Amino acid sequence: MTKIVLAGLLATTVFTAPALAADPIKIGVVTPLSGTYAPIGQQVRWGLELATKEVNAAGGIMGRQVQLLFEDEEANPAVAVQKADKLFEVQKVDFLTGTVNSGSTLAVGQTAERAGKLIATTVSFADSITTDKCSPNVFRVNARAGQQSAALAAWVVKQKPKAKVFLLGPDYEMGRSTVATFKKRVEGLGATPVGEVFAPLDSKDYTQYFGQLRQARPEVLYTSTAGNDTVRLLTQMQDFGLLSNLLVVGASGTVTSQNISAIGAAAEGFGTGVGYSTQIDNPANKKFVADFKAANKIDPDLYGADSYGLIYFYKAAVEKAQSTDTDKVRAAMRDLSWDTPQGKKTMRAGDHQAIQPMYVVQVSGGAFKVVDQVAGEDAIGPDECARF
Amino acid sequence: MRNITASPASSAPAAAPAAIPVRDQLGLQMRASHVLMAVFVVAAVAFAAIGAAIGDTFFLRLATEALIFAGFALSVDILLGFTGLLSLGHALYFGFGAYVSALVLKETPSFWLAIGAVLASSLVAGFITGLVANRVRGVYFALVTFGLAQVVAKAVYNTRELGASDGLIGVPIVPINLGVGTLMSNAPAAFFLFTLGFVVVLYLIAAYLLETPFGRILVALRANESRVPFLGYSTRSARLAAYVLASVIAALSGALYPMLRGFVSPELLFFSTSGNAVITVVVGGVGTLAGAFYGSIILTVLKSVIGTMTEHHLIVIGLLFIGTVIFLPKGLMGVVRPWVMRLLGRRAS
Amino acid sequence: MTAFLDYFQFVLAPQMITGLSLGVAVVLVALGLTIIFGLLDVINMAHGEFYAVGAYLALSLGFAGVSFWLLLIIVPAVMLPLGYIVERGLIQRVFNKPDRHVTTLLLTFGLGLVVEDVLKVIFGGNTQRPPTPISGAIDIMGVLLPNYRLFLILFGLAVIAAVALVVNRTRLGAVVRAAAFDRNMAASLGVPVSQVYAGTFAFGVALAGLAGVLLAPVFSVFPTMGRDFIFLAFTVVIVGGMGSIMGTVVAGLLLTQVQALSSLIVSPVWSDPILFSIMVLMLVVRPQGLFGRLGHA
Repeated sequence: MTKIVLAGLLATTVFTAPALAADPIKIGVVTPLSGTYAPIGQQVRWGLELATKEVNAAGGIMGRQVQLLFEDEEANPAVAVQKADKLFEVQKVDFLTGTVNSGSTLAVGQTAERAGKLIATTVSFADSITTDKCSPNVFRVNARAGQQSAALAAWVVKQKPKAKVFLLGPDYEMGRSTVATFKKRVEGLGATPVGEVFAPLDSKDYTQYFGQLRQARPEVLYTSTAGNDTVRLLTQMQDFGLLSNLLVVGASGTVTSQNISAIGAAAEGFGTGVGYSTQIDNPANKKFVADFKAANKIDPDLYGADSYGLIYFYKAAVEKAQSTDTDKVRAAMRDLSWDTPQGKKTMRAGDHQAIQPMYVVQVSGGAFKVVDQVAGEDAIGPDECARF
Repeated sequence: MRNITASPASSAPAAAPAAIPVRDQLGLQMRASHVLMAVFVVAAVAFAAIGAAIGDTFFLRLATEALIFAGFALSVDILLGFTGLLSLGHALYFGFGAYVSALVLKETPSFWLAIGAVLASSLVAGFITGLVANRVRGVYFALVTFGLAQVVAKAVYNTRELGASDGLIGVPIVPINLGVGTLMSNAPAAFFLFTLGFVVVLYLIAAYLLETPFGRILVALRANESRVPFLGYSTRSARLAAYVLASVIAALSGALYPMLRGFVSPELLFFSTSGNAVITVVVGGVGTLAGAFYGSIILTVLKSVIGTMTEHHLIVIGLLFIGTVIFLPKGLMGVVRPWVMRLLGRRAS
Repeated sequence: MTAFLDYFQFVLAPQMITGLSLGVAVVLVALGLTIIFGLLDVINMAHGEFYAVGAYLALSLGFAGVSFWLLLIIVPAVMLPLGYIVERGLIQRVFNKPDRHVTTLLLTFGLGLVVEDVLKVIFGGNTQRPPTPISGAIDIMGVLLPNYRLFLILFGLAVIAAVALVVNRTRLGAVVRAAAFDRNMAASLGVPVSQVYAGTFAFGVALAGLAGVLLAPVFSVFPTMGRDFIFLAFTVVIVGGMGSIMGTVVAGLLLTQVQALSSLIVSPVWSDPILFSIMVLMLVVRPQGLFGRLGHA
């Protein structure tokens, strides 16, 4: 008799279990938490955490809570792949994000293809990720280098028509390609490139290039240095009196909240094309900036903002697909439009690149101010992904 | 004159005296290392069996990666533990092997072709750079190897054809034809066992060579370099040979990396990779060869566990390393091996 | 002729002057390294990190309101006991082992890893920069040179001269050189050798810290800054001769000039390989460097 009762109880649990098991949706985050890129990883983390908190408070995605699992990739693709593998195979995450440098994004993207999962990047801006090295399992919600220089070039030409432009980039793949992209754009709009110099990464002393710079007598300087290199370049230029009468512009990673205080007064007037600014005037952004600052005591930058928007992108896709299955979500993500603090973004199906309005921001009084805006379609550029 | 050394026994044609095995310290050490390696292999095979049974992929792949880096650490041990040369830029050869392998595999996914290419090219590369590096010793050697790795790493980082800073992705899955069967490089347990066999073969080659007179010259070099020429041996050719051996072993280990992960990146050539190998060897046990393997497993596990707990894992690893250098300079195997040697010695007598 | 003068005035001379300011900076960092090797036979792979510690101390004390001129004295003074503790606490433990060179190299390598990460924990990963203490620039024949750079060159040369004077002309220096030349003999003559060792190490560390204070406004401060100079410093020490002060000065100034001038001819990305080739060449042709060792020359 007891056996039958026990069996019956067991049977009922089998039927009730699925209804109770609202297991969380797991999103893996492989991002540099140590090393040179740690500040970027920190912003990514904060952006993701804020969005996740909001989404969970509103009931999660399809009734399931979102859980973030963090791993440190040390900005080393070999480590990133190992951690991604762990998140996919052991923790069985449904989705993955967080990679910062393009090498890591590409390598992890390949790992995702082999594991049959999707990833998205919110930081890497190398064009190749959504052009020649595009992957059906990789999506990009942030603006790529081409979009940034399109917006910037248009603004530069408005400020100084037919200007002489000197270009200085760090001597590696990213530095050279950003310089080449900007040069092409600005030339097509009537400006004249008068010199091009590539300095080794981590150069201590940029004064050796000042001779060339002075000889060329440019009105505009474009630079794609980043982090410490920018600090050294701009402060040394200021010490040598080269910043007067010169409009300095650069890539989005050149002057950011991480190095702007170190650059100090030398950053005044610096302009760049970005996908985000805290100054964007709409209610969603104002709320986002206020919430972010309250939680983390620091303003969000583009990495934090794009990472915040990613969670909403994923939520919209899963709700549209009504599933977390890879193929269904991928199909849902293509041509998906969703709202972000920086406006409406649309994920282009052809190359998995987000189209968004681009902004030109300029440093004024130690903070970035929005000075111009370019529509998404004008900035996006052609679809160069041939793989799918 | 009668030959006073003649004895009745020696004139008897039949009973030749039994061969007395060479029972010196080095021989005993090597046999102890073999025992430790055998234990390691048994544990690894058991691990693979459990992993395959529960259908795991991540831990098997992580362990395979640890084995690949163990092979690399083995090459560093040959230089540091036997020849007494600290190389701070040995990742040069590891990365070299990885890149050559990746380039070959992207054209033709043939395992033997890739290994052959790596073997040939690393022999040449090791020989040429060895000629330069071996003019010096001690800290100068460390700095020259460091500088060489820096220069080449920067060159690779900037070369578009080699993928530049992004590295090369798209290395295909490789079928490995062993004659008796074929295994695919993405089968976790099978590839793990294959890699185990591969690095054990590397270990055996190294161990064999180091027990020959050549190996003993190296040990003599480490002990007192200036005396060796007086014994009639050339230091130059011995050191060069050791260097080339270490380069080839490092390159062959590196060749397996793209097969496992499907990509290569310039970070494989950076100082951090060289530094990790040195830490592995010191913690595992300098001069024991087997220490490289145990050390690699320990370091991989530590990094994985501590890395998940805190982002300041460098401090922990650094402190552990300093502690080992000060308090346990012979490393883990350095402590365990003497016990094994005593066991073997007791059984023999 | 005017074309050459023009070139000299606007390109060559400024290049050489900035090369000189970099050279003085490198010599200051390398001096400590060579003294430590010359006396203790210890390769301090953490030397770059002490340079970083000096810069961070200057940064935090500077933000707390301490004036730059005071920092020039306070920071080295604070780093002296730090160096002393490191030498007594860590280096002495492995000093008497047979393969001392390798072990101290490994030990200081590990120490460097730990210090770098500790700096990151305490100060965060972002780049920071103390304000330039002397603003303005002077015009030398049409070329602008920031006053602070000029100060760097002059002050740096003064410090180098002072160090050379102390080592070669004072009793303290004689004691140090004696301990370097023959440790046991010096001990039997009453020299407290272990104190001398620890003190010299501390002095080398303090020099690195001073370099950090001086260079922070020029090169900015971030956790991995120790790696900035370490390769160049070691190259200078090797080319000049390990343990020789004269060698470090000559090699430091010479190599930075080579670097500055070569970047006018070939792309700057070649300057590292060029310097490296010079180092290898020196090791092959004349391994003891240009000027030999501290105790012996």
